[in-house]
Amino acid sequence: MSDHSVLTTLKILIIGESGVGKSSLLLRFTDDTFDPEQTATIGVDFKVKTLTVDGNGAKLAIWDTAGQERFRTLTPSYYRGAQGVILVYDVTSRQSFSKLDAWLNELETFSTKHEVIKMLVGNKIDMDKREVSKEDGLRFARKHQMLFIEASAKTKEGVQCAFEELVEKIIQTPGLWETEKQGGMTLMGSRGTSQGYCGGYCVI
Amino acid sequence: MTDVEALNAAEAGSSHNYVLTGGKNTHNITCERCSSLILLPQKAMLHIDTEFFLPYMKKKSEVSSPGDGETISEFWLIDDMFQFENVGFSNTVDGVKYLICADCEIGPIGWHRLDNKKAFYIALSRVKNKP
Repeated sequence: MSDHSVLTTLKILIIGESGVGKSSLLLRFTDDTFDPEQTATIGVDFKVKTLTVDGNGAKLAIWDTAGQERFRTLTPSYYRGAQGVILVYDVTSRQSFSKLDAWLNELETFSTKHEVIKMLVGNKIDMDKREVSKEDGLRFARKHQMLFIEASAKTKEGVQCAFEELVEKIIQTPGLWETEKQGGMTLMGSRGTSQGYCGGYCVI
Repeated sequence: MTDVEALNAAEAGSSHNYVLTGGKNTHNITCERCSSLILLPQKAMLHIDTEFFLPYMKKKSEVSSPGDGETISEFWLIDDMFQFENVGFSNTVDGVKYLICADCEIGPIGWHRLDNKKAFYIALSRVKNKP
């Protein structure tokens, strides 16, 4: 990441039920050799992260609901302008999977961009007592035209891949980000074909 | 370090290990703890005109009084949030968002007032300013 030609800045949301591991997903995006207990007492509002996809840098502003979902107080402004949404459930909690429809409804109601790219993440695959099969997740994702990946924030498996996949898809959907361009940001070179980061996991 | 750079650092009178080029950082600015890249070279301006009180950096488990901290006067000043490579923002407390490492979440490493959209401050003493 020495040469940073930044393509665009993107707003990414992480949503889903409480306890499915949204915040740790955010933390484990890059380096993860440190104790997740580190979270500041005040709580994290959002993060700016730089990611390189197909040689292009993208700056992401990643917003986590930080527990507000417990009280159902997510406001329309939280959704406004988002180009990508990561919808998370816990593979060991059927209940968190059942609530996905409600989350999608809320997203459809409040999102201001019709082509917002959605990715479904089945989290905590390192844990025992799975209640949601990979096939169930895949079926749901396909039905709602979402990308899909299973992940473990604890082992970092799939997390980086999830973000890269999402960003790549957003970049391939010009209507989503062209109007978001700020001064000095230009498209650098051609993007070529997709590298298929996540192999068989991806359903577009 | 070249002579000019050494002179720059000496002129600033700082005890922190940093090098300037044209008033801006010469090297990457990284997290002291996990080496996460916070700023690329030439993205931050040395700023020694503002004093600000920051709570000490510590783990959540290391309980101490919230007023425990220090007044800091040497900062890197950044004028746009997207100049950062990686950084985290805390929830707002009295109009201030504290900046943290985006990866290991240690902090606060800096601050941002909501009433000044074009100023983000990173404390020199709380990050690594040289390779």
